[in-house]
Amino acid sequence: MSGNDRVSLVQVRGLTKAFGTNQVLKGVDLDVSKGEVVSIIGASGSGKTTLLRCVNVLETYDGGSIQVDGVEVGYAEANGRRRPRRERELARIRADIGMVFQLFNLFPHLTARDNVMLGLCKVRGMGRRQAREVAEQWLARVGLGDKFDSLPIELSGGQQQRVGIARAVAMSPKVLLLDEITSALDPELVGEVLTVVRELAHEGMTMILVTHEMSFARDVSSRVVFMDAGRVAVEGPPREVFSAQAQTNERLRNFLARIELKQV
Amino acid sequence: MQYHLNFNLVWKYFDKLAWGWVLSLELAVVGIAIGIVIGLGLATLSHGAGRIVRTVVAAYVEFIRNVPLLLLVYLVFYGIPSVGGFAYDATTSFVLTLAVYAGAYLVEVFRAGLDAIPKGLIDAGRAIGLTPMQLGLSVRVPTMIRIVLPSLGNAFISLFKDTSLATVLAVPELTYGANWIYTNTFRIVEVYAVVAPMYLATGYVLLLGLRLLERRFAIRRR
Amino acid sequence: MIDVMLKGLPFLWQGLLVTLEVSAIVVTIALLAGVVLGVGLSYGSPWIAWPIRLMSDFVRGLPLLVLIFSIFYMLPLTGWQISNFWSAIAALAVFETAHVSEVARGAIQSIHPGQNEAGKAIGLTFSQRMLYVVFPQALRRFLPPWINTVVDTVKGSSLLALVGIVDLMLSIQQVIGRTFKPMPMYVLGALMYFAINYTLSQISRRLEARFAYVRE
Repeated sequence: MSGNDRVSLVQVRGLTKAFGTNQVLKGVDLDVSKGEVVSIIGASGSGKTTLLRCVNVLETYDGGSIQVDGVEVGYAEANGRRRPRRERELARIRADIGMVFQLFNLFPHLTARDNVMLGLCKVRGMGRRQAREVAEQWLARVGLGDKFDSLPIELSGGQQQRVGIARAVAMSPKVLLLDEITSALDPELVGEVLTVVRELAHEGMTMILVTHEMSFARDVSSRVVFMDAGRVAVEGPPREVFSAQAQTNERLRNFLARIELKQV
Repeated sequence: MQYHLNFNLVWKYFDKLAWGWVLSLELAVVGIAIGIVIGLGLATLSHGAGRIVRTVVAAYVEFIRNVPLLLLVYLVFYGIPSVGGFAYDATTSFVLTLAVYAGAYLVEVFRAGLDAIPKGLIDAGRAIGLTPMQLGLSVRVPTMIRIVLPSLGNAFISLFKDTSLATVLAVPELTYGANWIYTNTFRIVEVYAVVAPMYLATGYVLLLGLRLLERRFAIRRR
Repeated sequence: MIDVMLKGLPFLWQGLLVTLEVSAIVVTIALLAGVVLGVGLSYGSPWIAWPIRLMSDFVRGLPLLVLIFSIFYMLPLTGWQISNFWSAIAALAVFETAHVSEVARGAIQSIHPGQNEAGKAIGLTFSQRMLYVVFPQALRRFLPPWINTVVDTVKGSSLLALVGIVDLMLSIQQVIGRTFKPMPMYVLGALMYFAINYTLSQISRRLEARFAYVRE
């Protein structure tokens, strides 16, 4: 782990989470420093998506702690005991954490520009003119300068996902969470989305990605985390994880082999 | 507010409720039976028929669906005899009204059912040489019944509730029984505390029965 | 026939106004209460959703006439001085609220949960998500069936004649009581009800067709 004396932007300690009787997260530790890009890989059921969704409390967590910029996201202190955060507190915390979804989840009744402006106006309290400028700026940055007035239904999958990225990033989040953002895309549209993510990484955006795109993870990440059965099994720089560690950890080796097969 | 619950008066006259309940069921059953004949007949008639036929059927459906049932009940019982010259008793009148009412809703149900029959089945039937009549009876109708089963069941449950309107013609069904007990004992809370569950329980049992039938017979839309 | 109709027309017209007034009040109450309950059913904790579910199933499982009789005759027992008019309206409003809450619930739950999550992810509060994300999308699935409940309200209001509200239905009965010529009045009354309800259902049908073009 890099920068032990640097306080992590995102700090996860002993995270546990169960859905009914299914213990999905069995004690996860993770640190993400400012400017880092961390990719989380693993088989389905390993808990990687659940972990990501706990960071902005789209899923509540049972035990352990997640702190973003020093603030415990899911719980508040009250006389020594902790209580789950109320909706209003969560809304404020989530404003500083951005998320891009696998299924885009664009608001279908709003244009691309309005999709990006909604958060700026209602959450950041910007005036309409300022919000419009910021929204158009970001849409242009992701290559959609001619699509301001388009409705999601008029856009391709790759374009919709780029709007999704713009919507999240325009809020100036402290950390960006990306949940398998290319899994639902046709192969030829994946590239345009990954290009945008790569640029954001180069500009220093702190990101946590759950992904199946191994080559992309290798390219862009400062660190790769392999999750297995609800725990972090392997962790390190991409070069290490994809070669050296792969030799020693059998589960990782099998996982990578399966992915290779599918990508061939 | 002083009100002392006294269920004894309700139990004393419970036979009115029990027999009323039975009559409500009978009214609903006969009503839907005739209604099915009307609805099915009109649906097959207008399925693939000319504009005039379809407009006439549509007019009937629209009229019945947009006019309150209460008005229809009165119209059939008081209005028609006054111009027709004949008369019938309250129960017959009500059942006829109910049948015509149900028929209007069921025309739509059956028409949708007929449209939903997979074309492949018709082709298969033709391919093995069935005549149009045989096709209709052996393929169309059985398939369609399985498709419309849920809607039919729900229509019946609705119709059972609509039998409560027979009260206004002094037909001694369940609601009439309830009102009779109320006017003779003033035990409003007790009587409806018994009658409401009777309606609810019947509806619930019918719903469960419908689910069972559906599981056995209905064709589920993929 | 026609001259009898014409003579009765003014009285029926008065009744029609009452019918419209009653329907408008009930529709408004049911819309406000029904949407709130529908939101409660969709997003509320079990403590909120279950009681609403039970009340709604209870009310919808009874014949409207039974509901009207019981509420109308039981309300005075509570000692609350409430007029006949408002007792009757309360009864019909309870019935329609239950139906509207079902329509609202169906419309809200047809919205993909990802929409609510996307709203959460950009930091919108619950009411902001409802107002800016869920309701605008749910509206088109809400309107057509809701208009059907309005039609049901107008038809259901005819039952209020049986507790003495002088609406269109009771006006018909009163005129017949004087002229002894039932058929012309029933036909005229039927035409009046038909005019209102047919217009409403046509609007509903047009809306449904228009919304069908928005691809899912």
